[in-house]
Amino acid sequence: MQLISSGFVILWVISFALYYLVPAKRQWIILAVASGLFYVIGTGGIPVGLLLTGAGAYACGLYLQQSLAAQAQALAECVDKEKKKTVKQGFERRRKRVQILYFVCSMGILLFTKYMVVLLPLLQKTGLLSPGADAFFSQVVMPLGISFYTLTAIGYVVDVGREQCEAQRGFLKFLLFLAYFPAITQGPFNRYAKLQGEFERPHVFAYERMFFGVQRFVWGAFKKLVIADRINLFVGNVFGGGENAAPGSIYAVAVVLYMLQLYADFSGYMDMALGVSETFDIILPENFRRPYFSKSVAEFWRRWHITLGTWFKDYVMFSFVMSAFGRKIGKNAKKRWPKMGRHVTGIIGTMLVWLLTGAWHGRTVSYLLWGLYYGIIMCVSLVLESRYGQWKQKLHIKEGKLYALFCMARTWVIVFLADVLIRSESLAQAGRIYRSLLTDFRLSEGILTVTDYGLSRYGFLLLLAACLLWLTVSIMEERGRNVRGALAACPIPVRWGCYYGVVLLLLITGIYGGSYDTAAFLYQSF
Amino acid sequence: MEEKVLEILEEYCEEALSYEGENMMEEGVIDSFTVINIVSELEDVFDIEIDAKYVVAENFKNKEAIMDLVRRLLEEA
Repeated sequence: MQLISSGFVILWVISFALYYLVPAKRQWIILAVASGLFYVIGTGGIPVGLLLTGAGAYACGLYLQQSLAAQAQALAECVDKEKKKTVKQGFERRRKRVQILYFVCSMGILLFTKYMVVLLPLLQKTGLLSPGADAFFSQVVMPLGISFYTLTAIGYVVDVGREQCEAQRGFLKFLLFLAYFPAITQGPFNRYAKLQGEFERPHVFAYERMFFGVQRFVWGAFKKLVIADRINLFVGNVFGGGENAAPGSIYAVAVVLYMLQLYADFSGYMDMALGVSETFDIILPENFRRPYFSKSVAEFWRRWHITLGTWFKDYVMFSFVMSAFGRKIGKNAKKRWPKMGRHVTGIIGTMLVWLLTGAWHGRTVSYLLWGLYYGIIMCVSLVLESRYGQWKQKLHIKEGKLYALFCMARTWVIVFLADVLIRSESLAQAGRIYRSLLTDFRLSEGILTVTDYGLSRYGFLLLLAACLLWLTVSIMEERGRNVRGALAACPIPVRWGCYYGVVLLLLITGIYGGSYDTAAFLYQSF
Repeated sequence: MEEKVLEILEEYCEEALSYEGENMMEEGVIDSFTVINIVSELEDVFDIEIDAKYVVAENFKNKEAIMDLVRRLLEEA
């Protein structure tokens, strides 16, 4: 079920009405039922993967909680310091084993379903699959939101083990946390302690909140339907052109537009998801903070898909660096290279995070290369960061507006080069595009033929107008203005003129399919 | 103890010394790479072990929070 569909709107309206009618203590049940319906209707079957992952994390959480309580009791009964240490280590070892077992099982399910598409043809070619098994594996489909709920569940298990939250005792409540319907397909990644707090507090109907939620949903739909899906008409044709290579200038336009498409599509979904959730008075974490204003790649990734970045940082990078293995590597590196050795575990952790981020986003080699590319850039920039000040002094560079613009442009170029990799249909095509950007730009031909790729002159003008509106809102937000608040304070004719204007633009110029279906969200496939 | 922590911060992240806010990690004043270096240095200097569970935004929100963390771990040791 897409967020932009009549089915979803009906589900949203009914659950919204019931939510504020039932007593506050029972409100979570409405959300749980709505989430269950959303998931079952969306997948058209019993959510086996979700139930397995959920049951595992739930049981694991309870075990960890029990083990922590038993440990506290055992330590209280111990007097000897050395014995205390041994007892603690014993408990910790058992908890770690359970956590690793859960991690392997849940990641196993994720990898199996995610990489089946790649592995199946390989196994068929080598004849390793019997005809019966072949038929079985062909029917395996990737469960809706598996990448999101698997990582969320792993985060929960780690958090309980780290005593950052208490385990949930109600299985249905736990499933609601895992599969809360606005966030199940594309995130944001929720932390149990924060979201559970949101579910538990009483929620009273407020007109303003409902209005702001719907407003944000409409704004997200505008970004998706008017901007992202319109860009898709052009980008799809340019990259789907096969061997008939377009001039480098057309590829340059297509990649820049793809950068905007990906952002409009994903942040549009986030606006819709956060808007829907806001109407229920459940505040989800922000996932974007205008990343294209970033002055460095590190900053870009702090502002893009924020909850995924913090997930990898907290549960992969820090877990690796602070592990016994990570510490050993760090100590040896410091002994061997006194100056640079201190960076070694950070570099390994960063590379690990980026390779995993690449693998999480896609199944192809292009995504691994994409991860490797960002990993190398991050490591180099972080290691050299301390020398930037000296270099700037030597080159007499002053940090003004011009320098800030240069830094932003540099970030755009780095992201541009990476996006060629992930948008190209194959590595060979990516190679052709890089080559044509450098040696076959054909600017005049590009200008004359830019409307031959599925987007007319009118389409481009409309896109430009929509992007300018988006840019204006983004600049205001970047300057710390509360756009929604400012709009609400405007006189009624101005305010409602803006609302109707955006809704009309959405209805008239949005890209809809034959049955008013929209194109699938890009991040849904990750 | 405070002086040593400030020295370490000065070496790895001078901005942290003048930071007055409540969210150094999320505001990008201190990145994960720097956090790792600071943790490693704190462990060496104070002979403590900083587990991953302590490396959260709350414990690195400003210089005072880092000092509190070291103080707590020294008491526990």
